[in-house]
Amino acid sequence: MSRFFAGGSSDSETESEEELYSESEEERSEEELSEEEGEDDESTEEDESEAESSDEDEGRGFLKAGAKGSAARFLRGEESEESDEDESKRIVKSAKDKRLDEIDAIIRIIENAKKINDWVHISNEFDKLNKIIAKATQQGETPKLYIKAIAELEDFMNETIKTEKDSKKKMNATNARALNSIKQRIKKNNRQYEDLIAKFRADPDGYLLEAEEILEPVAPVKLRKGAEFEAAAAAIRPGAAAVAVEDTGDAAFATIGRGGRTITITPESIFKQLRSILEARGKKNTDKAEQIRNMERMLDVAVTVYQKIRVLLVLVATRFDLTSSAASFMPVNQWKSAQEEITKLLAILEQNPLYVVQEDAEEVDDDEQEPVPKDGKPLKVFGSIVSLVERLDDEFTRSLQNIDPHTPEYIDRLKEESALYSTIIRSQVYFERVKLDSSANRVLVRRLELLYYKPEQLILTVERLAWSSLPKGVESQITPYSEDQDASRLINAICVKLYNQDNRLFRTRAMLCHVYHHALHNRYFHARDLLLMSHLQATIHTADISTQILYNRTLVQVGLCAFREGMISESQQALQEICGTGRVKELLAQGIQMQRYAQTSPEQEKIERQRQIPFHMHINLELLECVYLTSSMLLEIPFMAQSGSSPDAKKKTISKPFRRMLDYHERQVFTGPPENTRDHIMQASKALAAGDWSTARELIRAIKIWDLIPGTDKIKEMLGEKIQEEGLRTYLFTYGQFYETLSISSLASMFDMSEGKATALVSKTISNNEIAAALDQKTNAIAFIPGVEYSRLQNLALALSDKAVQLIDSYKYR
Amino acid sequence: MASTTASSDLVPRILPYLDRLLIFALLEHLSEQKLYPADVLLQAKYDVMKDTNMMDYISETYKAIHGADATVPAEITERRNEVLEKLAEFEKKAEKILEIVRNPEVVNALRSDPAQNFSYVKENYGVTPEMVDILYHYGKFQYNCGKYTEAAEHLYQFRMLSNDSEMVISATWGKLAAEIVTLQWENAVSELLKLKELIDQKNFADPLVQLNHRTWLIHWALFFFFNAENGHEKLTDLFLSPAYLNAIQTSCPWILRYVTVTVLTSRNARKTSAGRSSTYATYQKQIRELVRVIKQERYEYSDAVTDFVYALYVDFDFEAAQTKLAEAAAVVKTDPFLVGSADEFLESARHLVSELYCQIHQRIDIRDLSARLNLSPEEGEKWIVNLIRDTRVDAKINFSEGTVIMNHPPQSVYQQVIERTKGLSFRTNQVLAHMLTTRSATVNGAEAGEVQE
Repeated sequence: MSRFFAGGSSDSETESEEELYSESEEERSEEELSEEEGEDDESTEEDESEAESSDEDEGRGFLKAGAKGSAARFLRGEESEESDEDESKRIVKSAKDKRLDEIDAIIRIIENAKKINDWVHISNEFDKLNKIIAKATQQGETPKLYIKAIAELEDFMNETIKTEKDSKKKMNATNARALNSIKQRIKKNNRQYEDLIAKFRADPDGYLLEAEEILEPVAPVKLRKGAEFEAAAAAIRPGAAAVAVEDTGDAAFATIGRGGRTITITPESIFKQLRSILEARGKKNTDKAEQIRNMERMLDVAVTVYQKIRVLLVLVATRFDLTSSAASFMPVNQWKSAQEEITKLLAILEQNPLYVVQEDAEEVDDDEQEPVPKDGKPLKVFGSIVSLVERLDDEFTRSLQNIDPHTPEYIDRLKEESALYSTIIRSQVYFERVKLDSSANRVLVRRLELLYYKPEQLILTVERLAWSSLPKGVESQITPYSEDQDASRLINAICVKLYNQDNRLFRTRAMLCHVYHHALHNRYFHARDLLLMSHLQATIHTADISTQILYNRTLVQVGLCAFREGMISESQQALQEICGTGRVKELLAQGIQMQRYAQTSPEQEKIERQRQIPFHMHINLELLECVYLTSSMLLEIPFMAQSGSSPDAKKKTISKPFRRMLDYHERQVFTGPPENTRDHIMQASKALAAGDWSTARELIRAIKIWDLIPGTDKIKEMLGEKIQEEGLRTYLFTYGQFYETLSISSLASMFDMSEGKATALVSKTISNNEIAAALDQKTNAIAFIPGVEYSRLQNLALALSDKAVQLIDSYKYR
Repeated sequence: MASTTASSDLVPRILPYLDRLLIFALLEHLSEQKLYPADVLLQAKYDVMKDTNMMDYISETYKAIHGADATVPAEITERRNEVLEKLAEFEKKAEKILEIVRNPEVVNALRSDPAQNFSYVKENYGVTPEMVDILYHYGKFQYNCGKYTEAAEHLYQFRMLSNDSEMVISATWGKLAAEIVTLQWENAVSELLKLKELIDQKNFADPLVQLNHRTWLIHWALFFFFNAENGHEKLTDLFLSPAYLNAIQTSCPWILRYVTVTVLTSRNARKTSAGRSSTYATYQKQIRELVRVIKQERYEYSDAVTDFVYALYVDFDFEAAQTKLAEAAAVVKTDPFLVGSADEFLESARHLVSELYCQIHQRIDIRDLSARLNLSPEEGEKWIVNLIRDTRVDAKINFSEGTVIMNHPPQSVYQQVIERTKGLSFRTNQVLAHMLTTRSATVNGAEAGEVQE
C-alpha cells in the first residue's frame, strides 16, 4: 500500500490512517488472498509488476475515492473516516510493525510445534505465514525474521526426515502426510528466497542485525489527470490491468499499461502492439475497452495504408469481442463505431487498390518491416471483411430482437439500417472488384435478406438512400444502380446471381426470398411456379431452422397473395399447413408460444429467442388468421351442406381448426354481437349455412382488419361475390331435397345475381355430380331428381370398392 | 378475320424450335394457304435456305425474288461449286463403307445391338470407327443438300453401327427430319418414338438440355398434323405423357392449342377402334387432364381454342363457349398445322357442347341448342337425331313443343360397384406378380449373400 501512496504524500499521519485502512482491507480480502497466493509468489521476483491483489485493492480505493474528487480522497477512504472515531482508543502502529508482530507470533507457534514434532500444526502455520509475508513483500523487502524462520524450518525438516529414516518407530499417518506435503512446499518456497537464505546462513546474526530501516524503494509512477481518470475508473474492472493515478501537475498524459509501463505509441511500434493485443485476445484478464482505446489512438498515429488496414481489422474484431454473451446485444454506440470503421476500411481499400484484404493471405510474422506492394501486384493482407460485415448484420438483428418494438428506441435503431445497407453494398462492390466471389455471394444473401420483405416503394427508397451515401465511382456489376430502378429487377438480379453459385443454402434462401417478393407484389403465378419448381417442399424438413422459418413465411405470403387475388381454395391450401397446426407463432418465429405440458429448458428458450424475427418484419398474425378462417369458411360451409348427414361427414374436413371453432361457437348458450374477428367469421358462417348470405356478407365486411390489406374495397367486393356464390351452392345442397323444381329466376333474385350466372353455377354443380338435378329449358327451372336412397349394405359396398381401389393405388412398384 | 389470325398466329413462336428444312416445309405450306403475302414468304424462304447447301434452289428463289433476269450473286455460284466438290469428296470417302453396309450378307447379319454389329463388320470387313463416322457426316451433308432419302438411309446405317450416344441422337434427329420432309409418315412415327425413348432414357447432366430436347420434339411432332389419319393417337399420347405435358407447361404453353385440338379430335379417331366404352373413359380422362392444364396455364397463355374449353368446362357458360367456338373455328382454319383438322375439330367441339348440354338439362329447346352449336334449327334437329343415334344419350324429341326430353336414370348402385371394381382383379394380379418377382430377387440376393459369407 505504501508504495502506492508514496506518490501522493508521505507524512506520518497518513501512515497511520493507511494502516487502519489496510487493516480493514485485509480482513475483507483474506479469502481472496488465499486464491492469489501463487501469483503473490511471483511478485517478489518481478519488482516492476504489482501483485494482483494489490491491484485490486488499489482499484477499489480509486473507486471509492473517485467519488470525492480531491487529492486527499485517496488518503481518506470511507473506511478510514469511519475509523476516525475510534482512533484515539487504538494504539497507533504502523502496518509494517503490526505485520512483523504477527509474523513473530506465528514463528513462535512454529517453534513450539517443532518441539513436539507436530507437522500438521507446522504446516498450517506455515501457510498462514506465507500469506502474511506475501502482503509484506509487496510493500517492501522480505522481513528478516521470516528468512530466518524458513531457513531454520528447512533445516529442522531435513533433520526430521533423516531421523525418521533411521528410527524404526513410525510417525503417525496424518503427521507423515503433513510432513511430506510441507517438504514440497518448503522447497518450492525457499527457492524464491535462495539468495537471502544463503546470506542468512553465511552470517546468521549479522544478517538479522542489518538495519530494517532500509525503506522500500518507491516506484516512480506516472500520473494522470483527474478528468480522464473518471472514465478510466469506470472501465476498470476487478483485476484490470491499467492503473492511472492522479498527478498534481499538468503532466502530459500517458497510458500506463500493466505493471505501470507506459505505452507510447509510435508508428514503428504499432505492429508490436497489435501483436500483443492479438495474443491477449481470449485471455481472461484482458481489458478489451482499454485495448480499443489504445487502438483508436494507434489509428490516429498510423501513417501508412498498411498500418491503418491492420489496425482497423483488429479494432473492429475486438469491438465485436466486447459483447460475447449470447443474451445481450452489442451496445449501440459500439455498433455504430464498428460500422463507421468498416466503412473507413472499405474506403481505404477503395482508394488504394493495391491493398487487398483476403482470408487466404499469409500472415506476416515480421513486425519490424512493413510489407509494401511490389511490381504493381496487389499486396494481400490477412483478414476477412465478409465476416466483419456479417457480424455487423447479425448484431443489428440481435439488437432489434432485444429492443422493445413499441419504443422510440426501436425506431431509432431501425433507422440505422440504411447505414448497414450501404456498408453491405460497399463491401459487395469491393468483393466484386477484387473478385472474391464467394464473399460477394455471402454479402448478397445479407443484402437480399434486408430487402425481400419490403414493398417495392420501400426498396426503392432504401436503395436511393444507400447509393447517395456512397462516394461516386462506386459501382456494382451485379446490381448496377440507376435512377429509374425497378425493385423487382434488382431482386431478380441478386437472385439470379445467387442461383448460379454452388452453395445450396444460399440458393435455397435466394429462391425463397424471390418467391416472397413475388407474392408480396401479387404475382401469385410467378410465386407459385417458382416455389413448385424449386421442389423445396420435399427437402425443407432437412434444412436448418432459420431456413424453415423463411419457408414458412414464404408459404404464408403466397397464401395471402392468393387470397388477395381471389383464389380462395389456393389460399386455403397454402395456409393450411401453417395455420392448421395452431403453432403459428412458433412456425413464423414471431413470438414464443408456451406449449402446454411441454417442458422447455431455459437454454432452449434462449435459442428460441435468438431465432425470433425482428418486429418490423412480422406478418400480421391476426390478419393471417382472418384470411385463413374466411377462406376456410367459403370452402367448408358448402362442403358441410353437401355431405349433409352422411356417415362420412364428420370424418372429412377441410379445415380442422375452423370446424373446432364452429363447434365451440354453436355450443354456446348465448351469442352476443360479434366482438373480434373470429366472432365475425363464426357468425357469418352460421348465417351462410342457413342461406342468409347477405347477413354473412355484412358480417365479413365489418371486420376491421381488412383495412390492412392494400385495396380493401376490392377485397371486400370479391368476398361479397364469393359469399353469394357459395351461398347459392349451400342453399342448393341444403334445401334441394325439399324441392321438386326450383325456378332459376327466383334463385337468381334470391341471391341477387344475374340469371346467366346462376345458370352457370347450377350447371357446374350438376356437371360435377354434386347434386342430382337437371335443368329444364322450357320452364327455366331446376328439376331435382328424386334421390335414390341406398340401403346400408349398398353404401358399405360402395365404400368397400372405394377402399379397394385406394389400396391398390397405394402399392408402389419398385 | 385478318386481325384474329394475325394475333393468334403461332408460327413466329414455333419457328425458333424447328430445323431449317422443316421451316422450309412449313413455309411451303403457308404459301399454299395464302395467309401471307407471297413476296414475304419468298424472302423468308430465301433467308432460311441461304445457309443450306441446296444451291440450285437458292438461286431459283433468288431469281423469283429479284426477277427472272437478275444475275445470281457470285458467292452463290461459288458455293455451289464448293458444295459439289465436297459432295464428290464425301462420296469417294464413303464409297467403301457404303459398299460394305449395302452388301446383302452384311444386311442380313446385322442385329439390333450396334456394338455387336460393329465388331462383326470390323472383324469381317475391317471397318474402322472413322469410316462409320463418315457415314454420319455424309448423311448430314446430303440432308443439307436436300437429298433426304439418301440421308435417311445413311443415317440409319450409321445408327446400326455406332455406339456414340450423342451422335446417335443427332442422327435420329436428322432421320426424323428427313422422313418428315419426304412425308414418310410411318417411318417418321417410329423415329419419333425412338427419339422419345432416347431422350427419356439418357441421363442428361443438365435437366435444361433434356427440356430443350423435349421442346424440340414436341414442335417437330406438330408436322404430324399434315397427316391426320395416322399420327393423332400417338400425338395425344405424346402430348399428354407427364414429362411432355410438363415441358409444354414450362417452355412452350402455346402448344396447348394443338394439344386441345388433338385431344378433342381424338374422339373421332377412337370411334373406329375397338372397345368403345373404355376408350370413352380414357377420352373423358384426357379431357379432364386438358382442362386442368388449361386452367393452370391460363395466366400465361390463352387463345380462342383454349378459351372455348375453359368457358365450357370451367365456367359452364354456354354463351361464352358459343362465341369462343366461332372464334376458335376461325383460328383453326388459319393455323398452318391445324387447317387440315378444322372440320374435325368443329364437329368434336359441337359434340362436346351438346353432350354437356344434355348432361345438365332435362328438357332442351331444339332452337336454343342449335343456336349454341352455331347451326340452323333444321340442322340442329338433324344433329340431335344423329347424336341420339350415335351416342349413349337417352333422349326423345317432342316435335310439337320443339324440345328434346332427356332421361337421366340415376346410376344404379350395382353399376357403380361394377365400374369401380372392373380393373381390380387385373391389377391385383399385376401387383402379385411384381411382389413375387421382387421377393424371389431378394431371396436370391440373400442366398447369394450367405454364400459369399
